[in-house]
Amino acid sequence: MTSTSVLDDLKKTQILELLEQGKRVDGRALDEAREIIVETNVVPHANGSARIRLGDTVVMCGVKIQPDRPFPDTGDKGLFICTAELLPLSHPTVETGPPQPPVIELARVVDRGIRESHMVDVTQLVIEKDKSVIGVFADNVVIDYDGNLFDACSYASTAALLSSKTPKWNWTDDAPVLAEGEDTDLPITTIPVSVTMGKIGNHIVVDPNGDEWDTMDARITITSDSDGNICALQKGGSDGFTQDEINQCGEISVRVGAKIREKLKEAQKGTQ
Amino acid sequence: MGGRDAKMVLLDENGIRCDGRKVDEPRKIMIKAGGLKNADGSAYIEFGENKILVGVFGPRDVHPKHMSNTDTGILRVRYHMEPFSVGERKNPAPSRREIEISKVIKEALEPAVMLEKFPRTAVDVFIEILQADGGTRCAALTAASVALADAGIPMRDMVAAIAAGKVADTVILDVNNEEDQAGQADMPIGYMPSLEKITLLQLDGVLTPEEYKKCVDVGVQGCKLVYDLQKKALNDQYFGKGGD
Amino acid sequence: MDNKRKYVIPGDVVTTGPFRPEQNVILEGNKIISTTIGISEIYDDSVKVIPLTGKYIPKINDLVIGKVISHTSLSWELDINSCYVGFLPAQDVFGRDFSAHADELTSKLKSGDLVAARIANFDRTRDPLVTISDRDLGKIDSGDLVKISPSKVPRLIGKRGSMIQMIEMATNAAVTIGQNGWVVVSCETPEGLLKAKKAIEMINEKAHVANLTDQVKDMLEIKEDES
Repeated sequence: MTSTSVLDDLKKTQILELLEQGKRVDGRALDEAREIIVETNVVPHANGSARIRLGDTVVMCGVKIQPDRPFPDTGDKGLFICTAELLPLSHPTVETGPPQPPVIELARVVDRGIRESHMVDVTQLVIEKDKSVIGVFADNVVIDYDGNLFDACSYASTAALLSSKTPKWNWTDDAPVLAEGEDTDLPITTIPVSVTMGKIGNHIVVDPNGDEWDTMDARITITSDSDGNICALQKGGSDGFTQDEINQCGEISVRVGAKIREKLKEAQKGTQ
Repeated sequence: MGGRDAKMVLLDENGIRCDGRKVDEPRKIMIKAGGLKNADGSAYIEFGENKILVGVFGPRDVHPKHMSNTDTGILRVRYHMEPFSVGERKNPAPSRREIEISKVIKEALEPAVMLEKFPRTAVDVFIEILQADGGTRCAALTAASVALADAGIPMRDMVAAIAAGKVADTVILDVNNEEDQAGQADMPIGYMPSLEKITLLQLDGVLTPEEYKKCVDVGVQGCKLVYDLQKKALNDQYFGKGGD
Repeated sequence: MDNKRKYVIPGDVVTTGPFRPEQNVILEGNKIISTTIGISEIYDDSVKVIPLTGKYIPKINDLVIGKVISHTSLSWELDINSCYVGFLPAQDVFGRDFSAHADELTSKLKSGDLVAARIANFDRTRDPLVTISDRDLGKIDSGDLVKISPSKVPRLIGKRGSMIQMIEMATNAAVTIGQNGWVVVSCETPEGLLKAKKAIEMINEKAHVANLTDQVKDMLEIKEDES
């Protein structure tokens, strides 16, 4: 998020004073994420889609699945590409134009979180080895901003991928030909969940909201998979973490991540 | 849902179009005012299968300063399609089509927005196409007008929009994606209902002089229907069910 | 709603005939047209529309709450929830002997500080000039900032201050209302603070509702003999 929004001092003081008492402005516990609302199939024409509300942060992810050429050195693997874009209508300080470093970092961190977990088994996405593979694109757009885009985009992507349907293509006469009516789920091996923690003074808070995001000195985003293993991590911000804090964050991310994973699984079953 | 199927019947012997509509029947339209927390004004529209979100900021300071105008505010419009909004995934970078549509929508709104009241400021309109299915610029213009009103930006009038067109030698109202691809003409129209002025008008296709006049007339009448829904959206949001 | 008031949106004809167009209406031929979402009012010879949305337009002498967002060596810039940024010259705070070399602006006010200020001057060719040099103005050291729509401020104040006084008495909170929709609430007890903030938020959401005063009274648990 750009740094040109000025947080008023009274708010900053309030946040710090409450943290000293182990409390947060919105009443959450330090290791508690905001309410997550998941809606899937919000863009029915896409192969999969989801809208996530994480407090007042709103992100939409659309999944498009289409035939593509494989990368030269991996002719036996499909493509998986995850992007993120901060829409100018999400906050008054967002500018139009080419993406700035914070947004590029956001996109790459979200992409790595899902890719490194091997959530989508790209070896199952080959139409004709070395010639044609299935490309899965998960594109995130931020619609409203109130802090912690890393997790919101991660959950939107995961929810969209879990509810996606992929068509089948057969290699016929040197071209991929769509086989009508043979849509299936994507080959999913695990459900990655990212948990972002902010460091404000000596306190670690999970899922910082907009005001906490402007107040924090550093942040860390840790992604864990369904087996409880940590598969991706990014530290950001201009302060440092102690080793103990890093360990503490690792433990929190797996624990809190497990609860959020259940929410995403429920949404996939369509019980939300 | 292919678009270039030469065998697709766009108008059958009973006067029914490919999606079951009659020639003068618009698709299902739903408009909601408000909805975004950070934008000064916002609106969401579903126009057939189109799903479009608009956010407005302003009037606000212009950066860089040299772009501001000392005598009047300026209007900036960005029409942008999400990568997942169309059949084949679209590159996020702005295309020439999006840039042209942004300009056309801006010029359709300028006659309505009273920019002279706010010198040295800008009003920014951000249009996001979440799902496209033919007629996005008309739906976008319609929602943009609602979002501007929601932001409290003074306007002489609302602007409502819809496309008239021609398939099977017949003038129709509200062209969908198949009709746009395989039909004979597509004429998007933006209209200010109180001032009775057309502020957006384009044409793709061939029309006889009579068909041309008929299209404009059918389009203007269609805009009035759309305007009723804009009114309803603002009434629901502001005057509610508990009003005086 | 009586005949002289009605709900309007931009482009709606409020009335026709020989009336003088006042705020938020324009004359087109002989039609008086609303330029905003609001409630139209027709007086003896003039027509206006009270807007239900929109940014704050500065008026001379208005009390506003502002947030310092930047400064040069000669002045501060304040966010006052308007289309324009408020301009606070250094002399206003340091006095006439202000010297750009000797006096450091951040010693008095820095980015993020909230101030209660008054609009000293405004015309659309320049940014609004603000002042904090009266006794009831200046830096705000404590309290919570609540943001409401500027169009709801009259409702929050109430007839002759009746609504805001009712809230202050029922909660023991001190409320400073900026005409720009920014409101500072302070209270010694957290319960009073929470109640006062809830009342303000309720008014922001339901300003158009007829029995709002009763609803606020109920929420604040004011018994009839106390009001």
